[in-house]
Amino acid sequence: MTPRLRATAVRVLPPLLLVCLALVGPWIAPHPIDAPVTAPYAEPGPDALLGGDQLGRDVLSRLLAGGRDLVLSSTLVAVLVTGSAAVLGAIGALRPRVGRLVERTADVVMLLPAVLGILLVTLSWPDGGRLAVIAAAVVLGVPYAVRLAAGAAGPVAASGYVEAAAAGGERLWHLVLREVLPNLRATLLALFGLRFVAAVYLVATAAFLQVGPQPPAADWALMIRENSSGILLNPWAVVAPSAAIGLLALSVNLAAAALAPQTGRKAVTVL
Amino acid sequence: MGAVVLKRAALLVVLLALVFLTVELLPGDAAAATSERGESAADIERRRELLGLNRPVLERFWDWMSGLPTADLGTSARGEKVTDLLSSAFPNTLVLGGLALLLTAALSLGLGCWAALRPDGRVDRAVSGTATAVLALPEFVVAVALLLVLSLWTGWLPAVTLTDADGTPSDWTMLILPALALTIPQTGWNTRIVRAALADEARAPHVETAVLDGLPPHRVLTHHVLPGALPTVTAGLATSTGMLLGGAVVVETIFNYPGIGSVLASAVTDRDSPVIAGVTALAGAVITGVLLLADLVRDLTTGSRR
Repeated sequence: MTPRLRATAVRVLPPLLLVCLALVGPWIAPHPIDAPVTAPYAEPGPDALLGGDQLGRDVLSRLLAGGRDLVLSSTLVAVLVTGSAAVLGAIGALRPRVGRLVERTADVVMLLPAVLGILLVTLSWPDGGRLAVIAAAVVLGVPYAVRLAAGAAGPVAASGYVEAAAAGGERLWHLVLREVLPNLRATLLALFGLRFVAAVYLVATAAFLQVGPQPPAADWALMIRENSSGILLNPWAVVAPSAAIGLLALSVNLAAAALAPQTGRKAVTVL
Repeated sequence: MGAVVLKRAALLVVLLALVFLTVELLPGDAAAATSERGESAADIERRRELLGLNRPVLERFWDWMSGLPTADLGTSARGEKVTDLLSSAFPNTLVLGGLALLLTAALSLGLGCWAALRPDGRVDRAVSGTATAVLALPEFVVAVALLLVLSLWTGWLPAVTLTDADGTPSDWTMLILPALALTIPQTGWNTRIVRAALADEARAPHVETAVLDGLPPHRVLTHHVLPGALPTVTAGLATSTGMLLGGAVVVETIFNYPGIGSVLASAVTDRDSPVIAGVTALAGAVITGVLLLADLVRDLTTGSRR
């Protein structure tokens, strides 16, 4: 292992562990998430290691159960955004007219704060639930991601072998999928990391604003919102889910920064 | 310059059209959202007529768009004027967001320059690492941490905002915590931009000449590097405006600050999309203004090269 590879591995390991814990969490929770086991806002004790929440439910169990949907939704958003941005970016680099259209669209979406955009979509589509949040996060994320992908695809599209393939009569899809995208692996991997962080931010903020998961679902952001009035009685009910979201965002972001190609200046766009 | 203004205005109009269409084309409308138990379909239909929701889409679209320049944002699901709902709340949010933007600008410029003076040194790595770490934190997580440390444990700052009769915060110390919660993630983000812009500019030939002339590093920084990096820095700060306005919604709910956050919170309960559309229109207008300023700064500093 080269030192650089080892350094990258050290950075990538913590978020992977955290994500795995969030995924298996619901199965290892010691108590049911929706039944009271202690007094409301009870302090930590032997049967509830992190105390109780506003209804006396076990904070530790809800903490373990509350990350899976956040992680799964964010992963789905990041995959969809990175995938469509990669294809659109490559097409934009090969076809300048499409590229200009993509630029203009990004200019427009930049005028819409992402949080307001998500509220707009989820409220206009009341039955959409989690699907509405995911759809809004994808629509709001793609324009930024396309800019980055198009910037990286530009030099590749202008390189000799792609021009040769284009002159040889290869179709657009072949050029995009076979010639351009394979050369953007590092950029796209870093882009995926950044989009995952952005998705965690948006999905969690939507839950906090109560347009995503509804009570009594266990969800980290919802836990913070529900328990904030009892922060003095049992701070863990608020601090533990805050720390979980914070650690997830922070560790994934550091990993994405480590994966980014080290050439020149990076256009790091989070949202 | 005229072209820049026109382009920004055109983009704003397109955004507003998109906002209207989103509200319009997605299922669910204000009349159904405010329905109460025991209300018949005829009752809902009557309210739909009252709110004008049964008119053709194009007609209502024209009404909404032509009302915007005269500050008419339409009617909420409860029949109130959206403009009235926002008239006292939006200025409060602008004060909070503006304060956070100023703090962000000062902090990120300071930290970025401090790091740039010792490239690749310990300070540089610490600043860049911390900036990368905090730029991804959701505002409500930062807010909880600040609340716990600066208010509940130490008792230094008030935990909630109390409001005077005129609807403004009763004490300026109540602005500190919400502003900090907004500032910290945005400072992380902008410090990276400042640092990268300074590093780019430091490679320019005229900077090399200044260094070879033996000028002290801080003078090179302030007189030769910073001016060239200014357009990038301004553009970065300008794009932060959107994040600040969006984050304000979240932070205001935590600190009970009397801004658009509280208006939106009740709109969420009522599923009141006209209010959200109005807030979005105002936010879009503010962001357009700030981006336009950044455009002008770039045009001024780079002369007529573009």
